[in-house]
Amino acid sequence: MITKLSHASLFVNDQTKAYDFYVNKLGFNVHTDVTMENGFRWLTVMPPDQPDLEITLLTPLTEAMHYDDEAKQAFKTLLDKGAMGAGVLHTPDCKATYEELKAKGVEFKSEPKRAILWY
Amino acid sequence: MSFAPDIYQRVVSAKMFMDDNLEEAIDLEQISKQAFLSRFHFHRIFTRVYRKTPHQYLTEKRLKRAKALLAKEGISISEVCSSVGFESLGLFSTLFKKMNGYAPQYYRNLAYLKKKLAKEQPKKFIPHCFIETFKLDK
Repeated sequence: MITKLSHASLFVNDQTKAYDFYVNKLGFNVHTDVTMENGFRWLTVMPPDQPDLEITLLTPLTEAMHYDDEAKQAFKTLLDKGAMGAGVLHTPDCKATYEELKAKGVEFKSEPKRAILWY
Repeated sequence: MSFAPDIYQRVVSAKMFMDDNLEEAIDLEQISKQAFLSRFHFHRIFTRVYRKTPHQYLTEKRLKRAKALLAKEGISISEVCSSVGFESLGLFSTLFKKMNGYAPQYYRNLAYLKKKLAKEQPKKFIPHCFIETFKLDK
């Protein structure tokens, strides 16, 4: 019986930059950061209040992932356009988090807006 | 309840001051000055925004930094305690155990074991479906 999600994957262009973004800017915690002999880096981070959810930051562009050149180019194009991956993050105060992330250099497409969700 | 944007900016500035100075013996007076607010108002707004008091936030931040230091070699537990801003090793140990479920030394032992295993057998940390999908066995 499935009870919860343990891993979710996000493709990124650069794992080092992704580490800096998720850990140093967003405040996620590192769960595992190991690099295998063939260069494959298994990097997973966790939202601060969800220590049992590992978000895997994978780059499809390295040789260790075994994608052909066509696939790698497709990934890169989509990643550069910001067309891959989406999610919703929870915060106790959206405006405060917005100000803090802005101060840390995170770029936003727009300011926070009040919205009412159906639940 | 929502606040004016400049209030958020001031509270965030004080929060980032805490983040940058958590190893120091900073108090509410110094922190609230960063926000150009009285201690009372800063405490009230911070707690409303972050759902925890400035003291609770600072303690949690210090204990989180302690975890990262305990995973390193070459630094004793008492050095970790003082470098994250605790004056009492007993208080540090009690709060650490309360937050993490383990005493600092036990956590350190687990961290060392994890580091050793990650170095010797990294595949132990990767779900098998990923190993198969990305042919990590080859």
